[in-house]
Amino acid sequence: MKKLLTNILSFSIFAIVLYVVLVIVWGEATPQYYHKNLQYPAGNEGNGFMYHRMQEVDSVANVDILFLGSSHTYRGFDTRLFRNAGYTTFNLGSSNQTPIQTLALLQRHLDRLHPKLVIYEVFPETFEIDGVESSLDILANDRADFFAFNMALKNKHIKPLNAFIYSLYEEITGRKAKTDIAYTKGEDTYIKGGYAEKQYKTYAVPTFPPRTWQLHHQQVRNFEKSLHLLHEKGYEVWLVQAPLTTALYQSIENNDEIDNYFSNQGTYTNFNQLVELSDSLHFYDQEHLNQEGVILFNKKVIALLNQ
Amino acid sequence: MLFNSLDFALFLPVVFALYWLLHRHLKLQNLLIVLASYFFYGWWDYRFLALIVFSTVVDFVVGHFLFKTKHPRPRKWLLATSIAVNLGLLGFFKYYNFFLENFLAAFSFMGQEVSANSLHIILPVGISFYTFQTLSYTIDIYRKKIQPAQSIIKFAAFVSFFPQLVAGPIERASKLLPQFSKPRTFNYLQATDGLRQILWGLFKKIVVADNCAEYVNIIFSNPENFNSSALLLGAIFFAFQIYGDFSGYSDIAIGTARLFGFNLMKNFAFPYFSRDVAEFWRRWHISLSTWFRDYVYIPLGGSKGSQWKVVRNVFIIFLVSGFWHGANWTFIVWGGLNALYFVPLLLFKTNRKNLETVASKRIFPSLKELTVILFTFLLITISWVFFRAENLSHAWVYLQGLVDFSIFQKPNLPKYDLLIWLILFLIIIEWLGRKQEHALEKLLFQQSKYVRWAFYSFIIFLMGMYMQTTETPFIYFQF
Repeated sequence: MKKLLTNILSFSIFAIVLYVVLVIVWGEATPQYYHKNLQYPAGNEGNGFMYHRMQEVDSVANVDILFLGSSHTYRGFDTRLFRNAGYTTFNLGSSNQTPIQTLALLQRHLDRLHPKLVIYEVFPETFEIDGVESSLDILANDRADFFAFNMALKNKHIKPLNAFIYSLYEEITGRKAKTDIAYTKGEDTYIKGGYAEKQYKTYAVPTFPPRTWQLHHQQVRNFEKSLHLLHEKGYEVWLVQAPLTTALYQSIENNDEIDNYFSNQGTYTNFNQLVELSDSLHFYDQEHLNQEGVILFNKKVIALLNQ
Repeated sequence: MLFNSLDFALFLPVVFALYWLLHRHLKLQNLLIVLASYFFYGWWDYRFLALIVFSTVVDFVVGHFLFKTKHPRPRKWLLATSIAVNLGLLGFFKYYNFFLENFLAAFSFMGQEVSANSLHIILPVGISFYTFQTLSYTIDIYRKKIQPAQSIIKFAAFVSFFPQLVAGPIERASKLLPQFSKPRTFNYLQATDGLRQILWGLFKKIVVADNCAEYVNIIFSNPENFNSSALLLGAIFFAFQIYGDFSGYSDIAIGTARLFGFNLMKNFAFPYFSRDVAEFWRRWHISLSTWFRDYVYIPLGGSKGSQWKVVRNVFIIFLVSGFWHGANWTFIVWGGLNALYFVPLLLFKTNRKNLETVASKRIFPSLKELTVILFTFLLITISWVFFRAENLSHAWVYLQGLVDFSIFQKPNLPKYDLLIWLILFLIIIEWLGRKQEHALEKLLFQQSKYVRWAFYSFIIFLMGMYMQTTETPFIYFQF
């Protein structure tokens, strides 16, 4: 039995080392469509200008407001509007950012950004998903450090682990720094401070089948850990739910339950009930505001901030 | 609990450690097996544990009375009780709605409208496997081939042994039950070989079967969207999906049992290297084929008697075997088609021509061998279309689509070359290990330990790179 256990241990070390080498070799030597579980959306392949956001955040410190959350954040809080209102801000939103990623980003950047207020956008749908997409986005465009490894482990999924290995390799070989990353991609433009502006577009609203939001216990645990971290360090936190189209919002049957949960976690505002928006004129899809909508939404946020 | 899940990856080492800590206490080891097996099974749906317990108690009691009773008449009644209970449970859960719907359709065809409600019945996982296993126990006691189990714990461990509980191999009491009575000593070589077999089984399931399934699901759901060559590829992918899925499960089951000091029967013997359909059926799902041979075919007369009787017996076991797989006419036609393939071999007495492993003294097969292997594979692949199809008309549409000049065109499928490479890797490794119990048993044993370890690591890497990231149950769980 002792021989078996010793051999299993030796083999495990051997296999891990070889696995790391093979992931790198495979990533370098085979075509993209052979990389089924090695998805690495770096630079221009990333979602929502993650590369630029991660590059910029390293040079930012001591802001008034830090925005955290999903694409509703980096497409919903226009840093220029807040600057005009006298607030220095940074938008650290990312695609489908779940509490697992929020915690990792906070652990890495919070002390340097040292915000007076954290606006944490809580989109209940991001509490339902595994967060793999967002992890890949962050792993491919940010540092490969302990927090990144921890985040990859928390996903309990092979893709973030493979992406972490490749990210570490790119970092060691100095290939992570890229020079040819566009600031405009399709209809989107990256705005200094982490915001992504979408060209003006309207939306034809469909109907949505009724459903309920089910918050996943692992995401809830990480969300509460993030809040604990922020409170422990003495930061002020404002939980917000950004506006969705009325059609989508009203198709959710347990909005009150969700509001109750977030209200119990701290200062919370659900902007679905506060800003008058038209589904077709102020949104470009079922859940993202167009620039006209962003202006109205941000005006309301700033007004409440000023109060 | 699925073998290819994180839950099982945690469950197995814990049970393994506890089991060998109890190596001086056979009774406690058996009790641990029962508890672990019930936990393993209850992970899906604890309510169905009652069925296993019921089946275990009934057959344990029947077995004892069968052994004690000397008079033929009560013995027949006892056996009938065991058969009625086991097949009754199986029949209700698996076939109730099928028979009801077909009776209604038959009455409707004759102009009689009869109304009856079908029931929403959930099929308990593995019921077809463990009922057959317990049936073999009572039948063998009836035939005076074995003695009944002396302890209910041993018998419960035999019925519920978690490695093979939900999808076989369907073990015989004569082989497995005595293993619960013998003290088990840890054997390093047996355990490491078990681990190798688990590794290969996982590769077949996670890499080959699950990736084939992606294409198969797309192609079979809309066959009209694909040209003939794509449909042929779809059928071939399904052949490898079902092989990877089921033989992968068997490898993991046998390998896991070996970690606990048990030897289960071989369930697959590289069936796609068969040179005729008879050889294929000696190599595919061996535990079920031999079960039907011993408990259905031979009692019917087997290959003794007139040619008509032999042909009838062959059709009966293939049709029953098809029906065992599921309550759908597609499985019955699949069984019937295989009987049609088999009967000419039997009539021309060539069904036992290929008993040796193909090219056993050579590295490569001869051109003739390769041709007959490919022809047999083609026949089997065509029959798999019925097995995979939703219903008979779906299968017919699929087969019609195969007969078209577009068979000579490039398949209109997106990026399938990677899957072809993975299947080729499987074929090469299995070909190299075709004379062994499993493909990795002696592969690279002439090389240093580190060369072997590098190869196993490469298999693990392929799993990491190509595994599905959502839960993928084994196909045979539905049977």
